[in-house]
Amino acid sequence: MLAGGGLRGDEVFGEIPGRNTVVVADKVAINAVLAGCRPDYFPVVVAAVKALCHPDFAYHGPASSTGGSAIVLVVNGPIRHRVGLNAGNNLFGQGTRANATIGRAVRLTMMNVMQTRPGFFDRATLGNPGKYSFCFAENEEESPWPPLHVERGCRPEESAVTVYASNSLYQVYNQLAATPEPLLRCFADALSNLGLPNVKGFNQALLVFAGEHSEVLAKSGWSRREVAAFLIEHARRPLADFKRATRLPGEPTASDETTVRALFERPEDVLIVSAGGRAGSWSACLPGWGNKWTKAVTAVIEEGSA
Amino acid sequence: MTKIFDPTAAPVARAVALAARPVELRGLRLGLVENTKFNSDTLLLKLADRLRERHGITMTHMARKRSPSHEVDERAIAALKERSDVVVSGIGD
Repeated sequence: MLAGGGLRGDEVFGEIPGRNTVVVADKVAINAVLAGCRPDYFPVVVAAVKALCHPDFAYHGPASSTGGSAIVLVVNGPIRHRVGLNAGNNLFGQGTRANATIGRAVRLTMMNVMQTRPGFFDRATLGNPGKYSFCFAENEEESPWPPLHVERGCRPEESAVTVYASNSLYQVYNQLAATPEPLLRCFADALSNLGLPNVKGFNQALLVFAGEHSEVLAKSGWSRREVAAFLIEHARRPLADFKRATRLPGEPTASDETTVRALFERPEDVLIVSAGGRAGSWSACLPGWGNKWTKAVTAVIEEGSA
Repeated sequence: MTKIFDPTAAPVARAVALAARPVELRGLRLGLVENTKFNSDTLLLKLADRLRERHGITMTHMARKRSPSHEVDERAIAALKERSDVVVSGIGD
């Protein structure tokens, strides 16, 4: 496994502040073997683990919280094809070794090396099935937009993995929308429900647009930024809604009925990916942990070492 | 011969110098570390009130973390050391 990544066993990938945890290559490799990875998957696992150690990810919060986040891995670039990552039908489900085992290797490393064991430094109230494994590739070839990793500063010929903490996945349905506005209203509604963990307005979200929805957006010519801007404009609610649901303290006043709170601040806080099957009117919304408490991190996968 | 690989790694032991515990609280300066969760500051300020009433300790400084996920940064630690004798780090929600 180490040879698959072109690595020495004693190479240090990073540290988790506050846990006295140093992440070393040999331990990650053992966990990748346990997960069932092929050696050529290992560079993806390594890049993901390094991204988890990045200060911007602020590992301790999303890994330990009662919110029970899954660590979602979005893979871009040529390595997707080389290792056979699924970017199409049932990409969040069973059936593809690379998706299943790369995500599993990262979770096992979190548990066995980063001390993120249930009941110890993992205090999830419910957890979610994505905590077993959550890895998929973007369908760059059929996407209306440049690949996610290019959007986030990598070169198209590079491979990269984006790590992102999400406490759930829900599918968003719309079979009739032929233009972006009605379609995206469904997403804006999904992103602004009253049970959202963060009502302070600094959310982050990952949206995965699949075949038919991707096609609607491609035909419209809307850029990622335009999609994100529409969502930010519509993912908002009157303060009175939050107060009636006691998500904010106090009784709703008359002005609270007309004073709206936006739940997202910046277009870059809405990560947009194209992936999934061609047929069907489904896409997915994965709410995140907020742009101030953790940030998605994109790390280049060192393919040359594989 | 079978070789067994251990997938686990223990935390790295590091020496930590603990501050001397005060014998008497009266007259000391209290620092607070607020983690930015809902009601964290409210809870800590109430606690500071109680400490003042019961032990004559005065709140002199409150540090705010960048977020609940992040550690207290070095600058905030320096300010706490300079402006307080004892520190309470709390959580709200």
